[in-house]
Amino acid sequence: MSDLPPLDPPEGDGPDEAPDMAAAELALGLLDGDERAVAIRRVLAEPGFARSVDRWRTHLAQLFDLWPAVEAPDLFARIERSLDRPVEAPVATLALAPPTKSRLWPALAGLSSIAAAGLLVVLVARPVPVPPAPSARPTAPVVATRAPTLVAAIDPETAGVATVTAVYDAQAGAIRLTEAKLVGDDHSAELWVIPADGTPHSLGLLRARGGTALTLSRDNRARIAAGAVLAVTVEPIKGSPTGLPTGPVVAKGTLSPV
Amino acid sequence: MRTGEEDRAAFRDLYTLTASKLFGICYRICGERQAAEDVLHDVYLTIWKRAGAYEPSRASPITWLATIARNRAIDWQRAQKVRRASPIEDAPEILDTAPLVSETMLDDEAAHLLHGCLDGLEERQRSAIRTAFFDGVTYAELAERQAVPLGTMKSWVRRGLAKLKECLDA
Repeated sequence: MSDLPPLDPPEGDGPDEAPDMAAAELALGLLDGDERAVAIRRVLAEPGFARSVDRWRTHLAQLFDLWPAVEAPDLFARIERSLDRPVEAPVATLALAPPTKSRLWPALAGLSSIAAAGLLVVLVARPVPVPPAPSARPTAPVVATRAPTLVAAIDPETAGVATVTAVYDAQAGAIRLTEAKLVGDDHSAELWVIPADGTPHSLGLLRARGGTALTLSRDNRARIAAGAVLAVTVEPIKGSPTGLPTGPVVAKGTLSPV
Repeated sequence: MRTGEEDRAAFRDLYTLTASKLFGICYRICGERQAAEDVLHDVYLTIWKRAGAYEPSRASPITWLATIARNRAIDWQRAQKVRRASPIEDAPEILDTAPLVSETMLDDEAAHLLHGCLDGLEERQRSAIRTAFFDGVTYAELAERQAVPLGTMKSWVRRGLAKLKECLDA
């Protein structure tokens, strides 16, 4: 931030002559008191003003990229305890009914650069918006890491089939995929990584129902990189007998960093 | 059908992936660690409850999450009714919108546009706009920090925003 001393204002610097930038000011959070109240009323009363505020928010959101991360404390256990607290039920009833997965997926297909996309969709698609019963499973401590995370939106070749989001966690050497409905019951869907040399290497089979988590071999971990392609082919049950794809590619997407 | 446990696992992944980013936002705006932790906790509760309200057509997921964090942190900060005359000291510096940023980090067209347009502003305008965004402060606080009359600060920023708009709309 600047330590510039106040400069002499240029001519015509009186507040009266400044342009009306209330939409930007509201989006930026500059206003308080009456000015803020007036601007909020305008959002409700003037659709054009509301659109303008929205456009500013979108523009300014680019600045979030510059915001440095600060290693976060492990609050997940505390967050879970709060979620499990039944007294919060009245708040939970305010939550909107989760949209269905089928409506959301097409809109999310373009968001391959954001790992959070897939995870958010998992949350959005959860069947009931009330906190589930406390889990008996012990929760491992969560440490926010800076290990590179790669994501891909694996787009199906056929329109109307849900995109599969893949998130690769370099630290765990594991790739997680959302539910794939890419092949019929009489075949298996096999996931391949195609690195820069163009040779496909099998990463494993996708489960017919629910998401899939695959822990990768050391060789395959080395093949996972930004720009590598993930592809799904139709293979016989239990996978390709040859070690190379034998069926058609039904979906593919490129890995990119978060 | 997903079980609650699977949702929790996904939510934990989301936390692991995004907590440092969102904590950076809360910490800078709240200005103290304990408050930032409390706000971060509330932010994730909000995310859990409002995941169904997320609209992919309007914002990328991380933008949506970051916006919730910034708004929550600003709510907390303004509820304190204490003005910070200067930014907190031990928070990491925000990168400047130098050309290196556009080369290394921002391959996105929208990001290029905004940073290019910000670079076209006078330093004091750009600085005030960035401070407002990253520190979550109002006109009154900006004026106090720069030791200029409120009207002067408003005028600088409004002219800067008008110029920014002209550039963004061009």
